[in-house]
Amino acid sequence: MTLLLNLVLAVLMLLPQQQDQKARQGTYAITNARIETVANGTIENGTVVIEGDRIIAVGANVAIPAGAEVIDGTGLQLYPGMIDSGTNLGLNEVGSVDETNDTNEIGDITPHMSALTAVNPNSVAIPVTRVSGVTTVVSESAGGLLPGTAAVINLYGYTAEQMTAGSEMLILNFPQEPSGAAQGWGPQRSAQERKKGYEDAIAKLDEVFDRAELYDRIMTAYAASPAGKAEPVYAPEMDAIRPVLSGDRTLMLKVNAEGDILKAIDWVKERELPNVVFSGVSEGWRVADKLAEAGIACMVGPVLATPTRSSDRYDKAYANAGLLSQAGVKVAIRSGETENVRNLPFNAGFAAAYGMGQEEALKAVTLNAAEVLGISDDYGSIEVGKKANMFISTGDPFEPSTQILALFIDGFNVPMESRHIDLYREFLNRDEGRLQPMEVLPADN
Amino acid sequence: MSEATAIRGARIVQAPGRVIESGTIVIRNGVIESVGRRVDIPYDARIIDGDSLTVYAGFIDALTNVGVPESDDDNPTGSVPDRSNPTFERAGIAPQKDVRMHLDASDKSVASHRQRGFTAALAAPRGRMLPGQTSLVLLTGDKASDMVLPGTRPVLFEFEGAQGVYPGTPMGMMAQFRQLYREADRRMGVQAMYDANPSGLSRPPYDEVHAAFFSVIEGDTPIISFTSDALELRRALSLSDELGFNLMAAGLNQGFDVMDELMSRGIPTIVTLDIPDRPDWAAKADQDSLDQVLASYNDDTRTATFRDIEAEKRNLEAKQLVARTEFLTMPARFAEAGIPFAFTTYGLSVNVMRRNMMEYIANGLSEDDALSALTVDAAAILGLSNVMGSLDAGKMANLVVTDGNYFDKDSKVTIVFVDGNQHLTGDCSGSGCSDKFSWGN
Amino acid sequence: MKLVRLTGLLMALLLVNATSAIAQDVVIRNATVLTVTGGTLENTDVLITGGIISEIGKGLRTPRGTEEVDATGKFVMPGIIDAHSHIALSSVNEGSSPVTAEVSMEDVVNPYQIGIYRASAGGVTTSHLMHGSANVIGGQNETVKHRWGSSDPNDLRFEGAPRTIKFALGENPTRVHGRRGTGGTGAIVPATRMGVEQVLRNAFEHGKRYMEAWDAYDAELASNPRAVPPVWNERMEVMADIIRGEVLVHCHSYRADEIVMLTRVLKDYGVDKITFQHANEAFKVAPELAAYGAHASVFSDWWSYKFEVYYSTAYNAAILIRNGVITSINSDSGELNRHLYHEAAKTQRYGNLEDDEALATITINPAIQLGIQDRVGSIEIGKDGDIAIFEGHPLSVYAVPEMTFVDGVKVFDRAADPDDVRLEVDPEGAIGQYEGQITSRDHFHDQNEVIDFLEAFGDLEDVITETTHN
Repeated sequence: MTLLLNLVLAVLMLLPQQQDQKARQGTYAITNARIETVANGTIENGTVVIEGDRIIAVGANVAIPAGAEVIDGTGLQLYPGMIDSGTNLGLNEVGSVDETNDTNEIGDITPHMSALTAVNPNSVAIPVTRVSGVTTVVSESAGGLLPGTAAVINLYGYTAEQMTAGSEMLILNFPQEPSGAAQGWGPQRSAQERKKGYEDAIAKLDEVFDRAELYDRIMTAYAASPAGKAEPVYAPEMDAIRPVLSGDRTLMLKVNAEGDILKAIDWVKERELPNVVFSGVSEGWRVADKLAEAGIACMVGPVLATPTRSSDRYDKAYANAGLLSQAGVKVAIRSGETENVRNLPFNAGFAAAYGMGQEEALKAVTLNAAEVLGISDDYGSIEVGKKANMFISTGDPFEPSTQILALFIDGFNVPMESRHIDLYREFLNRDEGRLQPMEVLPADN
Repeated sequence: MSEATAIRGARIVQAPGRVIESGTIVIRNGVIESVGRRVDIPYDARIIDGDSLTVYAGFIDALTNVGVPESDDDNPTGSVPDRSNPTFERAGIAPQKDVRMHLDASDKSVASHRQRGFTAALAAPRGRMLPGQTSLVLLTGDKASDMVLPGTRPVLFEFEGAQGVYPGTPMGMMAQFRQLYREADRRMGVQAMYDANPSGLSRPPYDEVHAAFFSVIEGDTPIISFTSDALELRRALSLSDELGFNLMAAGLNQGFDVMDELMSRGIPTIVTLDIPDRPDWAAKADQDSLDQVLASYNDDTRTATFRDIEAEKRNLEAKQLVARTEFLTMPARFAEAGIPFAFTTYGLSVNVMRRNMMEYIANGLSEDDALSALTVDAAAILGLSNVMGSLDAGKMANLVVTDGNYFDKDSKVTIVFVDGNQHLTGDCSGSGCSDKFSWGN
Repeated sequence: MKLVRLTGLLMALLLVNATSAIAQDVVIRNATVLTVTGGTLENTDVLITGGIISEIGKGLRTPRGTEEVDATGKFVMPGIIDAHSHIALSSVNEGSSPVTAEVSMEDVVNPYQIGIYRASAGGVTTSHLMHGSANVIGGQNETVKHRWGSSDPNDLRFEGAPRTIKFALGENPTRVHGRRGTGGTGAIVPATRMGVEQVLRNAFEHGKRYMEAWDAYDAELASNPRAVPPVWNERMEVMADIIRGEVLVHCHSYRADEIVMLTRVLKDYGVDKITFQHANEAFKVAPELAAYGAHASVFSDWWSYKFEVYYSTAYNAAILIRNGVITSINSDSGELNRHLYHEAAKTQRYGNLEDDEALATITINPAIQLGIQDRVGSIEIGKDGDIAIFEGHPLSVYAVPEMTFVDGVKVFDRAADPDDVRLEVDPEGAIGQYEGQITSRDHFHDQNEVIDFLEAFGDLEDVITETTHN
């Protein structure tokens, strides 16, 4: 252990960030590392070269460009940045302080609300998250039937433009059929009221999509030839739904209960929506064959959750992602977290341990996630031409004992700084002086 | 009523297992004058031909709000200056409240109860944690005082937390109960000391809430708890163990999990006539197919993948039937274990009384044990054995007359005598027949 | 006869065991034994006799009839102890008063709750069932063992465990009491951290005087049979017991200043047994806590769910331990308690603790904080047979708990797990229904708190907005 730590220290002394606390792009060569490409297997003692925001070389025998900053990865591992396909990161800051929370807009039908607008690039939780190796997340608005578009963001940048990973998804909270089981906390409604509420919600959903189809027809016709046609009304809600009808934007349909999943599969089919993924899907294992048959990818999680039914086996939430995957469903894993998105690798680790296997679980937080989010041209694996989102670790990032040592996002070598690390440095040996020198890493004691 | 009434040639169930297939019972001045196979009918007796009738001892409801109209005071709510320290009244603590002050003989519930064959009851005031003192009542009479019987007057205790003030939770109520009891105990001691010789002592504090506990502490007045699940029942038992008061346990939903504890204490046991509804999925199934589902229960069913979902559903149904059967067989198991018990309709519509009792019988309770619970055992539990519970000469003239075996589905209660007063219940042409009644409504 | 058959059948199918399981002697063979206090022993057997660990060694000879468990290639650790839990309770908060020392979780243990089994399936054998955090001085807690299968709460009691009580500082008690809306449940002190201190001092001072009044009465009684006893007060009885040192204090707290404040108050009343629960900012005053001899029981990584945990760090446990504060990792959650071994492992990510240090945060350290370290918390001869067997090292994310023993009784066996283990089944409602999930971000106790408030208070809207985001 001590040997490894010394090694780690030696390596880190070489890392440019230790001299310069600003994230920088440049030409970097990470050498002699065990590279988990995800797309093309593992490369022992390999090298990755980054230039600007892209990976320009990956392999066991790669020439290091002149002037490249070399990071010796001997004894270390290189992974593609992990992707969390369901969070509220950047939208919520302090849970109980309403003024700091921007997930829920007023209204039931607000698909034109863009999460990218409200993601706070300076959220304290963002650095806390990325130092775990999670470089990209889906940040979701919430509430109502159509709460808005979720943003896919990289966890470094000062503006939305710098952070976006180039994809957005329209969120649909699929109506939940009322359960006959005991209701949770909150004001109790009668069974009839709840049934009525559900039926109304389903009717409303169809009505909204009927309107959107009509609107799309009008807009298409108007765009083709406006002459002699009245200018269509301003309907930003409908505008926001249009790309989902065409398939240009993915519909992220949030659904959990067995019956609701079945209903949602039928609904998607009936409406002939071309580009839909399901999110949550906590009872997906119950209908895994149906999901596989429908070819609907699932963003599953959180994995660290109790079973959905008191009669379920205790580990069902751990096993869900693996059961879906084994049935042939494409699975990405989501943490459902805000300030603890850093637990994504642990969600994946539990899924791996309970039937999914390490390889599939790693895919579920890298390449599968990128594919499901429509960003796999740029993200999700260590391949030439992709964006340089990756991290260097002492081992398997799903293992809590592993330390994440360095981080690249869009080619930026991002300092391993966060409030949690800063406080550690300040307070570990408080009485011996308030501020510790930067050489003292979190891994050190 | 000074004249005598004789029911002649009826089937007389004097008590469970003590049946006269054809006999006569004579009542006079509210008392059973004679009963037997061959009884001389007094010259002045009005005669009822009992040819097709069966006569039982009047039924007893061992805990009920019968005759106690609802009132705004039952659930005190509203603003208080300090919710951590509300008045006793606001907190639902009223052990001194005497149900006799709240009885209304004209309340519709009296006739409604009587139509089902109930002739006497332990009537409880309405309220929350400590609603007040109960009273034995007869379900007859023109005014409240006609109804009241002397005898035990247990103080009712329920786990109904105060609204918005202390104590609101079961644990708060447990603590508050201990506080009231132990402070009352202290006050009793101080009061006794003062009564013996007040010289030099400050006047002891007095309030009616603590004072109401004095006779409980002395063992003269029991606490009657109404509980709606096993854990509430256990809490009531542990308070009784800890503080040493006499407990009567009523309600006992889920009491099957507490049978050993009830038996070892030998405390008076009063079983609810509330039963779980049939689950929707079983609503139309016949008993045989349900028995098959029940018997198919497998406590080691694995539901590994989507392929097992159908099997899981069947087993969940079976397990639910097991659970439901536990409720329905509870009285049968009490009887089998030799625990005597009475029935209560507390918190229920009395309309379901017979239907639910028939469910208990369908689940193993014998008709005799059911009848015991309605009559002789209820009388014993309430300390009324010397005046009611069986049809014996000298006892109070509380009679239920039916047109067949009471436990046959088609039988009807036709006449109820309470304290000798005749109340017709079925279709009739004579005077005094006011209540329309038939089973199943 | 059909009726008889039905009753007989039912007896065979009862959901709850009529009698508690009886400890059978069991030997766990050839395991890697993580004793926590005595290092790691390879290829070692552990013998449990009469519910107690009687021998630890290689190739143990065992009495006839001893159950054999082959743990070759597996890891054996002491049963996990959760120092902060709200599972298995019928109610959590008597939120109607800022001081409710008199109430006790002992009265509301719910042995039917499925969370008991689920935690056992994560290797947990002991849980500290705590009152909620609505009140400055909440109720007394109850330490239980996970003896799943009985309907009698008494069967779960950790016999001989010291009494403990819940205190709470900061946002929760000030929000619940001082910052409530109008109406039937208007505001009362405390609304500030200043008020919290005075509520504490007021309770302690009254407790002290109460204790003195009874002592004086007892003394007077010797010479004066007509001595008049003081007014009985259940609440002050408990305060007096705290001052006498008979009740260990476990205090919900977050900010460094309030943590230090409580040590000042306790010092004034001579109370030295204190564990700060949650204590997200305890790391800021770790030297002060160490000097007082105070302990900390913290989350592995929860933060930012409310303002008073915004300036916190997942390195809290490591900083505390490096500064000599006995520290445990707790769950406070019906989800996290199923993988406390994983929560403990996070102290390696956040602070690089050694394996035994990390394991101690969920075994011997919480045992010390609950005053049960002589009975549980490590694998030692003479301690209770509370054992968890893992496939894989328990600090690995891939670890899978396989068996759990409480007092030598197997309460969980992954290979024999019958999926639906409910002891209590709704006899009339719909079956096979989606019930929702507790996730690792949900604060389980807050859901329970809301339920309690709904029971206790009428004003739903107000209550929900106040307590769902805790």
